[in-house]
Amino acid sequence: MLKPVLRYQLTFESAGWPSAVTFQDSSRRLVAGNQDGELYVWDLPETPPPLPTEKKPGVKLPEGPNVSPVLRLNGHTNVVSHLHYDAARKLVISSSFDYSIRLWNLEAPPSGEATVVLDQLARDEEYKRTKKEEVRQQPGVAVKTLTAVHVLDGHRDWIMSMAASGDGSRLITGDAAAQVIVWDLEKRTPIAKWSGHPWNWIVAAALTTDGHGALVSEYRYKRDDFDIPAAALKLWNADDGTEVLDILKVQFPKLDPKEATYGSAQMWNKFTGVGLVAVAISPDGKLLATGQGGETDTGKVHILERETGKLVRDVSGHLSGATDVAFSKDGKWVFSAGRDTTVRICQVEDGKELAAIGSSRGGQFKDWISAFAISPDERWVAAADIAGHISVWELTDVVG
Amino acid sequence: MPCHSPQHLSRRALMKGVLGAGAGGLVMNWGGLTTANDLADTVKKANKHCIMLWMNGGASQFETFDMKPGRPTGGLFRPISTNLPGTQICELMPQMAQQMDKIAVIRSMRTTEVDHPGGIYLMHTGYRPSNTVRFPEIGGIVAKYQGQTKADLPSFIKIFAHGDSGSGFLGPQYQSFSLSAEGALPTFSGSNMDPANELRRHELRSFIEDRFEKEYKTDVARMHREAYEAARRLQNARTVFNVDAEWEKYRDQYGNSGFGKRCLMARKLVESGVAFVEVGQSSYDSHADNFMWHKGLAPPMDHAWAGLLKDLKDRGLLEKTLIVWVGEIGRTPQINNRAGRDHYVRCWSTALAGCGIKGGSVYGASDEDGYDVKDNPVTEGDFFATIYKALSIDPTTENMAGLRPVPLAPFGSKVVTDLLA
Repeated sequence: MLKPVLRYQLTFESAGWPSAVTFQDSSRRLVAGNQDGELYVWDLPETPPPLPTEKKPGVKLPEGPNVSPVLRLNGHTNVVSHLHYDAARKLVISSSFDYSIRLWNLEAPPSGEATVVLDQLARDEEYKRTKKEEVRQQPGVAVKTLTAVHVLDGHRDWIMSMAASGDGSRLITGDAAAQVIVWDLEKRTPIAKWSGHPWNWIVAAALTTDGHGALVSEYRYKRDDFDIPAAALKLWNADDGTEVLDILKVQFPKLDPKEATYGSAQMWNKFTGVGLVAVAISPDGKLLATGQGGETDTGKVHILERETGKLVRDVSGHLSGATDVAFSKDGKWVFSAGRDTTVRICQVEDGKELAAIGSSRGGQFKDWISAFAISPDERWVAAADIAGHISVWELTDVVG
Repeated sequence: MPCHSPQHLSRRALMKGVLGAGAGGLVMNWGGLTTANDLADTVKKANKHCIMLWMNGGASQFETFDMKPGRPTGGLFRPISTNLPGTQICELMPQMAQQMDKIAVIRSMRTTEVDHPGGIYLMHTGYRPSNTVRFPEIGGIVAKYQGQTKADLPSFIKIFAHGDSGSGFLGPQYQSFSLSAEGALPTFSGSNMDPANELRRHELRSFIEDRFEKEYKTDVARMHREAYEAARRLQNARTVFNVDAEWEKYRDQYGNSGFGKRCLMARKLVESGVAFVEVGQSSYDSHADNFMWHKGLAPPMDHAWAGLLKDLKDRGLLEKTLIVWVGEIGRTPQINNRAGRDHYVRCWSTALAGCGIKGGSVYGASDEDGYDVKDNPVTEGDFFATIYKALSIDPTTENMAGLRPVPLAPFGSKVVTDLLA
């Protein structure tokens, strides 16, 4: 079993909540983005600062130490949907609902400086309680700013999915206009493009380790209670965009992808939940993991055989929906996050839960985790939650 | 001529048919059932129609007509320019952005029922639910004052119906005739009998009813007969309910969606003389994932509505057809921790277009975060009074609910004259 210990709880409050997070090439540097398109970089000291102990009336003490960011990445104007660290080129890659993919060199000279406020919600709360204007006028945090070194342009709608191949050669991105693009990361050019069903959104995508195979999940929220386009989960050849296997067809042979009726939706939505919004391919390419997203009762993670599309087992389960999923480097564990405010680690071979990081904050619908990241040494997990935190846990005490 | 035994009507079959069609009569409204008063006769000459686009569950004003970009309440979508200089709407509605010169947006609705059942009742009737009076829906009122007598088609039709207050105290003759979400007719509306046998059955029923009416002198018998007459007339017009043949031609104009098909059918019904058609789209009740819900729902609605406007205009019907875009509630400025917006009625948006409405206008305003009305609040009563006025129906007209006179729009309601052409 794994014992997670909360080492940091970084405050990242804004009107829009944190939506994406990644480690750079160590567990000491973290990048996170939010729904407003803001991106910040934190350097985490080896020794965390002490937790504040002075209690203020009506203010809850933080659960973990906070440190301030050092860098702000300027450019995105809407939700940062995904973040990835490209170790080969030492670049952070971000995708956004502003239709752009931006590449950032964090070692480049800063473009400027700014003073930022990242505890806006706490200030608002305190102001509401005290009515003291100085609460809102407190100084912010000084950060350097940076602009992107390159922008990948090709999407014309929200970029809802992004993932890189394990070897770092390729990137796959998908948008709400059903377009999928596979990019050559070295040349920064598209290798292949294809489209899903025109009514659908590309809600999740993943590449095999060598980048030649792709798993793409399509979903669209209903157009009406009686007009519900069929979801799709397909394997594709990422070299040329040819379809390899329709996995939902394997699950439901009678499924007609053109059918948008209520009755048809009742067939497939027990499998997909409100869309399979998180997908991953195991490092050896044999297994797939797909997380039931949206607000569902189950939030299961399906483990499927890549070769046949058949269900191997369901693991984990996030009350009210899964949001993110990943395999460990050896493929033995599957990590998942969800709207139950937890990151869960399960054994792939038998579904046994090894750890539940974080805990439900009480009641239904509490501040779900929108995304997580695993450090390169797999000893740290960072999670972005919609209450405005990036929580960073260290996984210790492997027992049994 | 001998006939086979199955063609004979047994006593049981006769009673079954009478009861079945009678039940149909209760839920169908034909203008022919109207006991028209002078006002109704006068108004009917105007031959005006109304199509209500019902956004069930409550579409968000922030994701449609009253955006707050850059504000904490703004959300994920971006505003786009429209063909009305200086006016922006949500990027989810690019087609309507090019039709803004034809519509009037109200950004200052302030209503009184915050939940669905009450809100649906309120925004169908203009009145809050009451234990003592069952108020008629707007469709029943328009059917009474604009419905054509002896028409083959009902005067009040709902496609994918929401709301069940119906004709209220106006009586069953103004009750709605409801089609399914796919536009299918109710099962009671057709007969699977051979036409010759159907005619024989009709003659037999008439014979029995004539004798009954002669003996008992009651309105019920007359209404019963008229319900049958109407049901028979409907058989002459059944083809209007089938849009399949035209769909390929109009699919691009209305958008390839269920709501698009319903809007095309609404146009056909209006063109065929129906006074009031409600077209439903469901459900906007986005307590969770508000932005995804609206990204799913709003584009097909946008496409269909814009297509409908253009089609009506091209056919010269828009001047006589009022389009009402409305749901039962708006949605909260604050985004909750389910990425949703909850119910809100302190400040929200609706829109009107066509008949009698000053296109290219934006009425009222919300404050900078959309929490409250800044200018020109419009109540539900004002909203309905304005609609009736646009349809040449005096909103102060009273009908009797028992011994109580009830105006079409609640006492004190004001017509928003700035919205009228």
